[in-house]
Amino acid sequence: MAEFLQSIVKRSPWIYRINAGSCNGCDVEMATTALIPRYDVERLGCRYCGSPKHADIVLISGPVTAVVREKVLRVYDEIPNPKVVVAVGICPISGGVFRESYSIASQLDAYIPVDVNVPGCPPRPQAIIDGIAMAIEIWRKKF
Amino acid sequence: MIRFFKVILKNIIQGPSTIKYPFEDSPAPEKLRGKIVHNADACVACHLCEYVCAGGAIKMQESEDHQGIDFVVWHDTCTFCGLCEYYCPTKAIHLTNDYHTAHVQADKYNYVEKTFVKKQPCICCGEPMVPISPAMVEQIYGQEGDIRGLSKMCPQCRRKILWKGGVSKS
Repeated sequence: MAEFLQSIVKRSPWIYRINAGSCNGCDVEMATTALIPRYDVERLGCRYCGSPKHADIVLISGPVTAVVREKVLRVYDEIPNPKVVVAVGICPISGGVFRESYSIASQLDAYIPVDVNVPGCPPRPQAIIDGIAMAIEIWRKKF
Repeated sequence: MIRFFKVILKNIIQGPSTIKYPFEDSPAPEKLRGKIVHNADACVACHLCEYVCAGGAIKMQESEDHQGIDFVVWHDTCTFCGLCEYYCPTKAIHLTNDYHTAHVQADKYNYVEKTFVKKQPCICCGEPMVPISPAMVEQIYGQEGDIRGLSKMCPQCRRKILWKGGVSKS
């Protein structure tokens, strides 16, 4: 039974998105990839979900500011395993233009194991689709 | 009512507007700012790109054996703003329209454009120096080009030669 359910689940990873102090540029692009018919990420079997407890793939944008760090970690812990983390935009990957700022201690992969990076400021919707496609492959191997 | 059917018919003929991106290539606009390409032959190592870089992505350092200058762009902190291309005096930096930037975590610190600007010995004293590109020669010496070979000399030798010969009033 569990195997049967797993074989079904593997076909539709659900996406959850965390804004870790982003300027909203990457969030808009992520919404674009999901909501605009031109890009339509749901072709890959993905769906944006509202609760971290339903999520399989997490898209994190923003430079992980000191205020939001604890909250990001708390939400991240609520996501069931196996999970895949995609860092969207240059801010979570390296700090970007906010690197060495007073409110940013370190980049995302110092706190959370990141699997896929999608650099850009913001990245193109096609690049985000690329990143999600990579994440789905990694996620299927994790079962 | 007729207009309604017109829309339906048009949509049926046109087909879906969704692009088939991961399974098919999606062309990018010509002027899209994507991954950076550096032409080491045209570079004069003036460090202007490093100075204007908003994300601190460009690093130019003298190589360990002092034979040239290592040029590195780390795409993971590049904002693709295009300031480097705008300010580059010899147009050695170019932002291509390649937007395929997604990569796995293992490649994070290898996701760079790395070139080596080789130094050449000065024709007077033999001191290694970065050669001046033909584009820069034309900008400095005009259309007739570098007649006195000043572009192949280091700044000290160039100053000496100009002092001896005086300033030409052409």
